[in-house]
Amino acid sequence: MNDPRFELLKSAPLDSWVALSEDETRIVAVGRSYSEVVEKSESAGVTDPVLIKTPKEWQPISL
Amino acid sequence: MAANLAVNLKIPYKKYPAPGGFYYTAAIPVDISRPAKGSLRSKRFDAIIDSGAAGCLFHAAIGRAIGLGIESGQLEYTQGVAGKSKVYVFEIALHAAGATILTLAGFSDDLPIAGLLGMRGFFESFRITFDPASLQVELERFHRA
Repeated sequence: MNDPRFELLKSAPLDSWVALSEDETRIVAVGRSYSEVVEKSESAGVTDPVLIKTPKEWQPISL
Repeated sequence: MAANLAVNLKIPYKKYPAPGGFYYTAAIPVDISRPAKGSLRSKRFDAIIDSGAAGCLFHAAIGRAIGLGIESGQLEYTQGVAGKSKVYVFEIALHAAGATILTLAGFSDDLPIAGLLGMRGFFESFRITFDPASLQVELERFHRA
């Protein structure tokens, strides 16, 4: 089943902060820090993004 | 009789990349602020619901964004399968699933993701049902008597 959000995560750079649009269907900003991605997101006109911190490598989370 | 205003949400699991494929987990968008009303709120971020976590844990960058001086927090250590980690604890307001929960939460620069929702603060505030058949998590807000 096609999952646009999953495809976005697969394409997103690792060890980064990613801002998704309000409906989580597109990446609106990518940055090395929280503050950078918030600034870029707001510059892109998206004030209520959903932020995701991508890990250094994708693995099931077990802390 | 008081109206029952319980929040009851069914949220689909989210799919994350993994080596050679993917995995599903329960995650929801949340935001946090300092406890005082009117405090600056973070942007919404993805947080994984983790019954194995003793408390809520957030990336330190989010704490700094809401004005916390991270290294001034109460120092605690957590023990995970990956070893011991240093976290700084603050009282915060967690805004999740339509509720605002005042709780203690840890902050760490070493967290590989944005946030984890654990026992203290989150599981003590919701009845949580993981349904692997429908790939959904159900959250029902409750208040201790």
